[in-house]
Amino acid sequence: VIGIKALRRQKTKRLRDSVLEFLVFTLPLVVFLVILYGTLAWNFYVSTANWVSTAPDYTFTGLKWYQYLFHQNRFWVDVQNNLKWLILGVLPTVVAAIFLAYLLELAPFPGIESYVRTLILYPVAMSFVVTGTIWSWLYQPEKGVFNTILASLGVQSPFTYTNDPATATYWLVLIFVWQYLGFAVIIIQSSFRTAELQEMVEAANVEGASKPRILFSVIIPNIRSGILVLVSLLLINSLKVFDIVWIVTRGGPGIATDVLATNMIVTAYDQRLASAGAAIGVIIFLIAFILVIPYTIYALRRWFD
Amino acid sequence: VVRLKSRSNTLKLLVIVVLIVLTCAYLLPIYVMITNSLKTLPEIQQRTYLAFPQQAQLKNYTDALFGSRDFLIPMAKPIVNSSIITGVVTLLACFFGGLGGYYLSRVKTTFTRVIFVLVGIALYLPYQAVIIPLTTITAKTGLINSHFGLILCYLIINMPLASVLMGTFFLSFPHELEESAEVDGASKIQIFFRIVVPVSLPAYASVAIIIFTQVWNEFFIALTLITPKTQTVQVAMAMTQGSTISPYNLQMAASLLTVGVPLLCFLFLGRYFIRGVLAGALKG
Repeated sequence: VIGIKALRRQKTKRLRDSVLEFLVFTLPLVVFLVILYGTLAWNFYVSTANWVSTAPDYTFTGLKWYQYLFHQNRFWVDVQNNLKWLILGVLPTVVAAIFLAYLLELAPFPGIESYVRTLILYPVAMSFVVTGTIWSWLYQPEKGVFNTILASLGVQSPFTYTNDPATATYWLVLIFVWQYLGFAVIIIQSSFRTAELQEMVEAANVEGASKPRILFSVIIPNIRSGILVLVSLLLINSLKVFDIVWIVTRGGPGIATDVLATNMIVTAYDQRLASAGAAIGVIIFLIAFILVIPYTIYALRRWFD
Repeated sequence: VVRLKSRSNTLKLLVIVVLIVLTCAYLLPIYVMITNSLKTLPEIQQRTYLAFPQQAQLKNYTDALFGSRDFLIPMAKPIVNSSIITGVVTLLACFFGGLGGYYLSRVKTTFTRVIFVLVGIALYLPYQAVIIPLTTITAKTGLINSHFGLILCYLIINMPLASVLMGTFFLSFPHELEESAEVDGASKIQIFFRIVVPVSLPAYASVAIIIFTQVWNEFFIALTLITPKTQTVQVAMAMTQGSTISPYNLQMAASLLTVGVPLLCFLFLGRYFIRGVLAGALKG
């Protein structure tokens, strides 16, 4: 009997310990997660309410504000621009990163790798506010750096960069690609450097496969997980883009470079249509959620297996 | 590393062309920023942007810090605000994130899987989807009038990232030491603080740099939540931008003040920085 009691006491002690452990380790994280998802749910609730002035109004209006957005010309301009960002912010960056990373593996010059890394990675430490400030000066049509340099070379520059409504978004995306290229290169490089891949490359090299062939039929198929991670991160960051647009063009000229994130701020804080702004927030979240599903599944497997 | 190095001439030519293009593309913006931040206004108006300054005008930096007739938004106070907010968030996020990340990396139950998925989605949550409730909470509680408003928001948003980053490092940390301590009867909490934390300081440094950079550079939340008293450096910077508002030499000086700290972190602690970036990509 004493033995059973002691065993039971030990059991409750172990349970108490594991509960205590659980609380000490995860309580802060869980509390912050609850707040975060709470605000997300709250925002969804606001999007179905009728909050149209500084004072909150939680009268239920269903999908009224979503319909309001869908009938807005500006909303569809935003969607188009966000699509441009998603495609042009991601595809060229990934292709250029793979090309550069491979070139660095092949280049026969010593020290080239650390030089290039430092050179193209420093923008990662900079904010888009500062990058945007510099680039808007570079782009400025009359007093800007690019056109001044072109003029001093005797070239009459045909570009007005972000002042041209037809091409403004592309010039903005270029800033994004410039900023993220270094980041993309180090992620691709790190997935080159697994032991299995190195062996395969070695074997292909010994067999005399050409350099482009090694890239396309050995390396690229075997760094799919690295590419998945990179593509997901870039997709999310180009979807969330706000700072560059806000700083360089404020969505202009007109609404030519407007995106969902800038529209959200204008709607919720300038026009005071909090419910409509919340609805844009929900839409951005849903797109982001769909985009990160493959990445989350991959991360979950990698973490727990 | 495989000896893939090639000595073919086409490759050499290609490498040189790429090097020149990259060097121009990445040195030009920072070169223009630094040299022009040291010029006088007449020099800027001559539009010889690529020339060296005739005499380095360090006065531009005091003007940018404390304001002048041409520059109405002194950066000194925003820099102090940002330092306080970023410092507190970085410390707390690393501490709590280390705890959470350790638990997620060691205990594999359905519950931790659920938390992990929630964390994974929260990691890339667009701020636009939570900003209206966050402004309401901080306004209602009065936190918006002090640094705590932004500190709270940044903590909420950066906890998932800090946990995943720390957890990624702990995953690759050998379990043997911990197991033998467990056999000796130490609790998980003791093991964590006595064994794991002391050897994980480089990991903490990496995560701290990433969180620091992220929070220091954050603009969207700072812009929407801002009150003049707690204005951050990015918001102040954004107000100086535009040629009609302030001359380019002072704008560039203010830009350099804004990126100074993270850029120095990158230059001198580059190793930790890169490790943090890779951990963020779940590469460890």
